[in-house]
Amino acid sequence: MRVLEVQSVTKRFGGLVAVNQVSLEVNEGEIFSVIGPNGAGKTTFFNLLTGIYTPDEGRILFLGRDITGTTPDKAAKLGIGRTFQNIRLFGAMTVLENILVGRHIHTRVPYLHALLRTPLARKEEKKALEEALSLLEYVGLLHRKDELARNLPYGEQRKLEIARALALKPKLLLLDEPAAGMNPKETEALQEFILKIRSEMGLTILLIEHDMRLVMRISDRIAVLDYGSKIAEGKPEEVRKNPRVIEAYLGRGAAGGAA
Amino acid sequence: MLEQILVLLPQVLFDGFILGFIYAMIALGYTMVYGVLELINFAHSEIFMIGAVAGVEVFRYLAPLIPNGYLLLAVAVVVGAAVAGLTAILVERMAYRPLRRRGTTNRLVPLVTAIGVSFFLQDLVRLIEGLWHNEFFLRMRTIEDLEGAFTLFGGAIFIQTKSVIVIVVSVLMLWGLTYLVNRTKLGMAIRAVAQDLSTASLMGINPDQIISRTFLIGGALGGVAGVLFALIYTTINPYVGFLPGIKAFTAAVLGGIGNIPGAMLGGLVLGQLENFFGTYLPILTAGNFGTEYKDVVAFLILIFILLFRPQGLLGQMVKEKV
Repeated sequence: MRVLEVQSVTKRFGGLVAVNQVSLEVNEGEIFSVIGPNGAGKTTFFNLLTGIYTPDEGRILFLGRDITGTTPDKAAKLGIGRTFQNIRLFGAMTVLENILVGRHIHTRVPYLHALLRTPLARKEEKKALEEALSLLEYVGLLHRKDELARNLPYGEQRKLEIARALALKPKLLLLDEPAAGMNPKETEALQEFILKIRSEMGLTILLIEHDMRLVMRISDRIAVLDYGSKIAEGKPEEVRKNPRVIEAYLGRGAAGGAA
Repeated sequence: MLEQILVLLPQVLFDGFILGFIYAMIALGYTMVYGVLELINFAHSEIFMIGAVAGVEVFRYLAPLIPNGYLLLAVAVVVGAAVAGLTAILVERMAYRPLRRRGTTNRLVPLVTAIGVSFFLQDLVRLIEGLWHNEFFLRMRTIEDLEGAFTLFGGAIFIQTKSVIVIVVSVLMLWGLTYLVNRTKLGMAIRAVAQDLSTASLMGINPDQIISRTFLIGGALGGVAGVLFALIYTTINPYVGFLPGIKAFTAAVLGGIGNIPGAMLGGLVLGQLENFFGTYLPILTAGNFGTEYKDVVAFLILIFILLFRPQGLLGQMVKEKV
């Protein structure tokens, strides 16, 4: 089944074409990576999928439904969860509360019930709490549940951010440079973790990543963006040998951020 | 002189709490709206005034129908909260949301709008009251049940029943708000939006809805404060919101703008300072400075505190947003 279908999407900022006629399709259960040099439009592409920006041209279909120009909260409710390149947790809230904020779209309690704390409201709240706790246990952060998110070490913040996105129970998970700032050992653990959530939670994953070892090992397919345009797409070994990709990366010299 | 000060002290502290709780309730409206929108909602002083007017009208019309003064007051509090809360929502919908929709990035634009809304509401209420009762000064009807008084500690403190009511209602409201913000789904969503609106929306939270609810809650608290204010000070008018509004705003800044416990603390501190100097200035200066200088001294102290803690008593230094 097609989870995501992007049809010739374009986004301009003034004279700059940040995303240029990009099309791609992501199938259910795939890990699909989007790579490219810095400034290639990868994060802008994510922002288009999650409704932060509206495309100037093109269409975006999610599970066969047109979500072009939707709002971020609706995208989340439909089943698109995401993390950020620079971690954006609710730092002044506890680890558990961060999860609950994500989980809350699945709590449906009429206001009067919530106000009067009826059995229905209590049952729903208890269910939300239990699910949040079991999710924390699943990602190994249960012992941190009452700590403020901003006090967690970097690696655990990354993990919490993914867990918060998982609390939305998404169909499609967008990970924006999850391995940034990790050492090789942590990256390996992350790889295991991504593969684990994909199979155990039935997720489809769209990944932006600069760590090529991770990308090549984990991806089913890869698309390469350069200056906003898709210059290649295919299996890892195909993309690795593609001359246009090599040129895009190496043509810029060592400082170009090809790592 | 010292003896004179000590004799009055229990009374001064008690009265300071009454004023402080009223400021605290109004301050919450400023601080919550600032939290989610980074907007100083200057129209909030008029939301408070509208609550006070609603309280007066409830007393005027319902006193003959409701014989029990406490029940009447309860009705006035609910009506005041509802009218003020709904007005706050309307203001947000009609004045601030359209600006957000247009993506106005200049912070001064909503601020100036807020000042405009403030003037508009003052004169709107003046017009309505003028046509309705042909009155400018509105007197809160006196209800026998609520007029009692007693003394404590062998006459050291003189306490009106009304003062006790103000403190009880305020404490309940502040407790309720704390519970709501810290323990409920809505409260969590409000805090999430306050910390990072765009990330919160990616977690499925509709920011417009949360902003609207925030105005409702802040407005309702302001409305209750208005009803209590009218109960204590008995005579109000459509311009009565200005001074308590400015002071409550100051209290919110003193506590750390955007910080909810800070607004409560700031309100209490300001109420105590104001009341303290209102009573003691003439004594301390041998009559050279009268009670009317209380605000000058109170605000000098505030400026002094903010020099050392510019982020406010409970506020945190704002980190650069990336």
